[in-house]
Amino acid sequence: MKRSQPFNWLGWSSFALLLATWELISRATPKLLLYFPPMSRILAALGDALAAGTILQHGWVTLGRFAAGYLLSAGLAVTLGVMLGYFRFLHGLLATSIELLRPMPSVAIIPVAILLLGIGDGMIVSVTVYASVWPILINSIDGVRRVDPVLIDTGRTFGLSSWQILRQIILPGASPYIVTGLRIGLSIALILVTTAEMIAGSKGLGFFILDEERAMNSANMYAGIVVVALLGYTLNRLFLLLESRAMKWRHGMMARQAA
Amino acid sequence: MALRRFNGIMFLLTLVALWEFAAQAEWINALIVPPPSKILKLFYELVTSGQIPMQILVSMKRALAGYLLAAAIFIPLGIFMGLSSMIYRLFEVIVEMLRPVPPPVVIPVALLFFGLGDEMKIFVIFFSCAWPILLNTIDGVRSVDWVLLNTARTFGLSGLQTVWQVILPACLPQIMTGLRVSLPIMLILVVISEMVGSTDGIGYFVLDSQRRFKVAQMYAGMLALALLGYTLNQLFNLLQRLLLPWQRGLSRQND
Repeated sequence: MKRSQPFNWLGWSSFALLLATWELISRATPKLLLYFPPMSRILAALGDALAAGTILQHGWVTLGRFAAGYLLSAGLAVTLGVMLGYFRFLHGLLATSIELLRPMPSVAIIPVAILLLGIGDGMIVSVTVYASVWPILINSIDGVRRVDPVLIDTGRTFGLSSWQILRQIILPGASPYIVTGLRIGLSIALILVTTAEMIAGSKGLGFFILDEERAMNSANMYAGIVVVALLGYTLNRLFLLLESRAMKWRHGMMARQAA
Repeated sequence: MALRRFNGIMFLLTLVALWEFAAQAEWINALIVPPPSKILKLFYELVTSGQIPMQILVSMKRALAGYLLAAAIFIPLGIFMGLSSMIYRLFEVIVEMLRPVPPPVVIPVALLFFGLGDEMKIFVIFFSCAWPILLNTIDGVRSVDWVLLNTARTFGLSGLQTVWQVILPACLPQIMTGLRVSLPIMLILVVISEMVGSTDGIGYFVLDSQRRFKVAQMYAGMLALALLGYTLNQLFNLLQRLLLPWQRGLSRQND
């Protein structure tokens, strides 16, 4: 979908028009000031908060929790997923438990985590790990299972060890699925971090935004949302960049197949 | 397959039995992790007394309202955006700006506008279900075979007829994918919004039980949520089979 297209003038003008309408309506009706502070005021609040460093502090806290939770869950889920995809017996053993736990909305784990771990960083990181494990795990299992058995047999015929088969055949073959899981896991991790911060935090962007709402500082609240959106956007971009680097060989292969 | 399934169930039962034993023998703190027998008994009581079904009903009303509203607005918008590159470009930047916002962050905004009522949750669910539905619909419309569209034109179908009789059936599988992806998002967001700002609903029930230290009741609520998620998924599968009967045959052939 993302071809190198000319600059989207139409889209940016409609976006600018939306912001201008917002600004005008909000300035014209003081009653709405609380709900819709003018864009200029939100940007000023964002500038103030950035200058005072408060929003950056909260941002760092959120980013740290996110990174810890996401990386932990990626490591855990890919390892477990590859094992479950490879060893049928293991999968049979755990499949029923996975099927039972997976449909539960992951945020329901937050109260248990509060009970067991209190309301600190450990709780927030744990619920993030729990929630983002699922898509990565399921996709890894799927990916490994979809590796062409002929490839594995061929590897065996050529005398590759199990470790070599894993490294050179199964992991590359499953990687497109694993990457998809990792991408879904990324946005889920961000959702869980901000949610946990809203429910039981005293730091972090989720806490900041809800706290500013309760204090009726709506300009600050919107400023916080802008920062979270930027964070989500940047993380997604970063992921796509890493993905296209790591999966370069695959694009080449697809192009060759298409030609 | 049957054997593996048996293994899985046996493994799960062993785990639960171990948990029961560990809680009874007080190896683990039964105040925080009560034995499963106690949770199940309480779950049964809460279901038969109508308390859990009532909370679920409250939550599902909100969830479905937001979900259906998102479908009603974003499927047509997606069709327009998929058909016309001008409409696509018109909305592209706005969509790309709003999409990276993690949905729970919208809750404070909704609280500001709507207060603690149902509208707040409906809005949050509407917002978060919108993107998968919209993007999948656009993708689906774009991948409709050009030959189909040209054939429709040859046969003199009007614009509306083409959309209704050619485009919609052709991209229905993709639309269903978007709706399927949004289903767990809907459930997650109704729970979150009830945890952050509500006085009823199953999400509130679970968090409130924890705050009042009614631990077994909290676990019973989680069990209800898991069953609810499972049931919703099965219902969706059923709906998909009814709406897309030809898909099943096709994908089986591909196997």
